Amino acid sequence: MSVKIEVGAGGIPHNQILIYGLVGSLVLIYLTYLNTITGTQYFSFFGGLAAVVALLWGTDTIKHLCSYGLGTGVPSAGMIALGSGVVAAVFGATTGIFTPIVTIIIAAIIGAVAGVLANNVVRMDIPVMIVSLIELAIVGAMTVLGLAAMACGTFEFLGMITGTAVILGFAVPSYEFSVIGGSIIAVIFMLGAIAIQHSFNACLGPGEKQDRTLMLAAECGFLSMIPVAIISFAFIGLLPALVALLVSIIGWIYTYVQYIALSKRDAYAWLDAKPILEPKGGA
Amino acid sequence: MSALGGPKQTGGVQPPTAMGLVISIVLIVVALALAFFLVQMAGLLALVGIIIGGVLVAFGVHFVPVGGAPAAMGQAPGIATGVAMLAAGAGLAGLFGGAWAAPFGLPVALAGGAVGGGLLMAITCTMVNVIYVFGMGIPAASGKVAKDPITGDTFPEYKSQGTEGHGLPFISWVGGVIGGALGGLGGTLIYLELLDVYQAQLPVLLNATVEQIAPVAVSLAGIFAVAMFLVNAVLAAYNITGTIEGPHDPKFKRFPRAVIAAAAASAVVGFFAIALLELVGVF
Repeated sequence: MSVKIEVGAGGIPHNQILIYGLVGSLVLIYLTYLNTITGTQYFSFFGGLAAVVALLWGTDTIKHLCSYGLGTGVPSAGMIALGSGVVAAVFGATTGIFTPIVTIIIAAIIGAVAGVLANNVVRMDIPVMIVSLIELAIVGAMTVLGLAAMACGTFEFLGMITGTAVILGFAVPSYEFSVIGGSIIAVIFMLGAIAIQHSFNACLGPGEKQDRTLMLAAECGFLSMIPVAIISFAFIGLLPALVALLVSIIGWIYTYVQYIALSKRDAYAWLDAKPILEPKGGA
Repeated sequence: MSALGGPKQTGGVQPPTAMGLVISIVLIVVALALAFFLVQMAGLLALVGIIIGGVLVAFGVHFVPVGGAPAAMGQAPGIATGVAMLAAGAGLAGLFGGAWAAPFGLPVALAGGAVGGGLLMAITCTMVNVIYVFGMGIPAASGKVAKDPITGDTFPEYKSQGTEGHGLPFISWVGGVIGGALGGLGGTLIYLELLDVYQAQLPVLLNATVEQIAPVAVSLAGIFAVAMFLVNAVLAAYNITGTIEGPHDPKFKRFPRAVIAAAAASAVVGFFAIALLELVGVF
């Protein structure tokens, strides 16, 4: 049928990660709704955390799908995930409080269509294809929705297309200074795509370990959160954006240090290279 | 054969399953009917344009000489990267060209998109050959055919033993330019159809002028065009499974499968993109 490429055995079962990822990202996205309830913007960073959780799940899904050998490289799976995800996320965003749930349903429909077409028309004939593409579309949608919610403090469509511009000292509503009107959604799209496709692409091969791959996925997620946190200075207040930036940087440093530790654990040997010091008095 | 090991390369082309064909036709018809029901004739025509654009993208991808990892090592002809990356590059370049020319009317914009995509591929193919010939010191030789169908150059005496050919023969260069032009044309068509739909609906919905909503309409149409471009390109990539040399490659005969899959996928994703604004304000 297909040649299996090597992935590490063991670790947490995929179905468990699926449930944690789905429920975790849903709950975390809904936590950004506290912004609307309490009238503040301090809860925006939960959107980024939802994206990180979704990316962890998506990386494990990509690992399952790509272990069958698609022949097109790992990044293509990330591209189709975000491609179907962004449509589902923006479509879902028009439904107010039901946004995250509608997003998941729409993403599942698009993913299922892509999976059925890939298996039955293009004849990939990969057993996990349909399920994997459904999961990846949901992951892509939750990533886009989470990061967009982090940038502007809400996951509702009208909030994403309206902003305020200051002209001659007066604050006027403007469609140009918004997440979608300013094409920030395109930046979010690529930040999510890079984050989802990198981790397994970097870690695959003999000796691949699940905890190391997933730690890299979390690192990529926090790394994508940092630019979004900086972008959010334009849309939400100074303090909430600072909180988001702080959370992203702390998360990134922690996961980066952990990832390096795990890489050293799995490496046969390593050299702690030190910079070559200039000899005294010149060479 | 990709470095990761692809699905088994069967000699003949496996036709789509009956179920796959029926599902594709049903999906296209249902999407067209729903588009007509929700957005009337304008929606129906826009969706037809989007389906044509998606089919052009998927068809165009088959022309592009994709070498993947083996090409990077000089062991297979083509450009040394994956289908998704090349298609994204050509499509985005085309989209920029087309979007820039959008105010000049449909024919000029479509021509702009095609020229943009074709130009990017022409530059890429030329520079790839410069690197192959002057950097790596390998001549262009196809492994799939004995003679270049256009120039009549013969290949076997230049082909290294143990490789599938190397470099980028002239026929592959021509294929790349045609593929880039078709991709740019398709992507621009999707963008223009979506832009028309949003420019008609957004002013009514938000009670604003066309100029005020222009950033939102352009951004939404652009990101959705990119998303649909990537979904179609990845389905085409799955159809190719790894590497293809261009229009002379036997794998090129597989394109009807990708065309069917792209038509159905574009219909579903395009429907959600067209129906996007129908739910705003309902919840």
